[in-house]
Amino acid sequence: MLVLRPVELTDLPQLQRLARESMVGVTSLPDDTERLRRKILDSGAAFAKDVQRNGPENYIFVLEDPSTRRLAGCSEILATAGFSEPFYSLRNRHFTSASRELNIEHGVPALSLCHDLSGHTLLRGFHIDTALVRTPASELLSRARLLFIAAHSQRFADVVITEIVGYSDDEGESPFWDAVGKHFFDLPYAEAERLCGLKSRTFLAELMPQYPIYVPMLPQVAQDCIGRVHPDARDAFDILEREGFETNSYVDLFDGGPTLSARTSNIRSIAQSQVGVAQSGLAIDARGSYLVSNDSLQDYRAIVADLDYRPGQPVTLNAQMCAALKVTQGSPIRLIAL
Amino acid sequence: MIVRPVNVTDLPALLALARQAGPGFTSLPASEERLAHRVRWAQRTFAEQVERADADYLFVLEDDDRQVVGISALTGAVGLREPWYNYRVGLTVSSSPDLGIQRQIPTLFLNNEMTGQSEICSLFLHPDHRQGNNGRLLSLGRLLFVAEFAHLFGDKLIAELRGSADEKGSSPFWDSLGRHFFKMEFSHADHLSGLGNKSFIAELMPRQPLYTCLLTEQARAVIGKAHPNTEQAMKILTAEGFAHKGYIDIFDAGPVIEAPISNIRTVRDSQPLVLAIGTPDDEAPVWLIHNRRLENCRITSARARQAGDSLIVDRLTAKRLQLQPGDSVRAVPLLNRQPQAVAA
Repeated sequence: MLVLRPVELTDLPQLQRLARESMVGVTSLPDDTERLRRKILDSGAAFAKDVQRNGPENYIFVLEDPSTRRLAGCSEILATAGFSEPFYSLRNRHFTSASRELNIEHGVPALSLCHDLSGHTLLRGFHIDTALVRTPASELLSRARLLFIAAHSQRFADVVITEIVGYSDDEGESPFWDAVGKHFFDLPYAEAERLCGLKSRTFLAELMPQYPIYVPMLPQVAQDCIGRVHPDARDAFDILEREGFETNSYVDLFDGGPTLSARTSNIRSIAQSQVGVAQSGLAIDARGSYLVSNDSLQDYRAIVADLDYRPGQPVTLNAQMCAALKVTQGSPIRLIAL
Repeated sequence: MIVRPVNVTDLPALLALARQAGPGFTSLPASEERLAHRVRWAQRTFAEQVERADADYLFVLEDDDRQVVGISALTGAVGLREPWYNYRVGLTVSSSPDLGIQRQIPTLFLNNEMTGQSEICSLFLHPDHRQGNNGRLLSLGRLLFVAEFAHLFGDKLIAELRGSADEKGSSPFWDSLGRHFFKMEFSHADHLSGLGNKSFIAELMPRQPLYTCLLTEQARAVIGKAHPNTEQAMKILTAEGFAHKGYIDIFDAGPVIEAPISNIRTVRDSQPLVLAIGTPDDEAPVWLIHNRRLENCRITSARARQAGDSLIVDRLTAKRLQLQPGDSVRAVPLLNRQPQAVAA
């Protein structure tokens, strides 16, 4: 059984392994011990802090096999995008080009740098072992964040967004980057992503194009990357799309990957999750698979469990589940069908 | 040869010239109706019946047999009736000192900075007459006219030189930029532009600056490059002090060359002199001479000798200028005899 819990300082070596394995575009996971140590400490402080409204907090979760203590994945929630450093996106918007005299009117799409997504809650840093992609574990790693938001809604914004890693080829070359970013940054795609994870994002502001980039002027291969999901990020995308997240007109600055967004209260795992009380039992005549969380803060835990759940009734959990969730008879729990 | 204001009776000759020039010469469309309109307008201009904003001084080059072999024009001001657009080729620097990165990116800025300046345009000389001083006379005659009537013009003269295009008349710059906003072929846009719809077309262009690094390589290569067939015009005007200061045409990226009127050699060096009849020898320099009249303007080039305040020309030259000895002329040596000063 895999358990999702807040990251701890002892996880540092394993977190760095995960960072090393993660996709190039997952910039919140730099392969850098000091940066990761700082991030773990900040996360611990975020879970410990008394928060009345969303601020700079960043919550990191890890997926652990308690029997081996091995970490199989990690994910994050940044309470407020753009709170401590600017959060940039490219807005893809049509500029209307019109001439009444010539009876011509058409829209020309253009990408403009913006901070429009600042202030929203950002899901990021999602990475899971390849073997666990498209399994319940991957659902747990992604959606347990949503159950956490449901339990602690005052800590988060009214809108939740995420950036999905965009397309790059087998050699790690991004056609979008080559057509856009490279001109301004003079760096290969992977190097730019790496710096983005390591350095303050102010370097982005210094280098970024301030004027619109007209889409039809880009080579077709680059245009095709706008809003295109990297094959390895498809799982992360699909999970959130099923949660009610939708793509919008914002794309990532570096690789053109899509942004997903949803009103917090409309997200399926938030709107439809049920609160119940735990009841310890032995045999469970399972009727379905669920994501179950304990609604705690620093002791937050979430698992996937096969349960005999009946709305309004106490939820029977076996001893292993109770231990994993750190709950006892009568503890409040939250659950949603897998 | 003389340069004189166009006349309605020149219409058939103009039409023939327009046909000779071909469709690439958009400011001289081979349409009788449009040409007739332009000629009438020019006549009103020389009669001082139109405002500077609308003034269109259309000249023809005529030989002694009254055959019209060339045309050139001068406008009072661009952009005063409808906006006049150019791109300025500027620079954007993308720099991060921390990372040791500095990118210099030429950037096109849409502007109306030429508003109110006067434009020289529409020069076409029949191929059979591209010899001797004909080209210079047709082109520089306009400048001498400006010297005489500076109050009718702006502070600067500008000339938009045709940009690079392939044999089919298609422009790499247009294909990389304008086409996306107009959804039409360059030749069509160019045609509309020639019909005077330039600002309507410009309304469709993006207002924001454009990074040239996002243009195709072929498009970048022609920014500020004049079409090879403008080489001679460029050479003549450059010697007069015209220079490319970074402004280009928004459609084909051809250079806009410009000069403050007071710095133009023909303007600066020209002087009023009293006409005298004599026999200037074959060693005498060739002068560009204007009869100082507006509606009855006559400009010619001829060998002449300056003696004090007098300019000695032969009888035929005086006749071409419709002047008598003792009349005043404005004149300047046709060729710049001083070695060109090296710009500081």
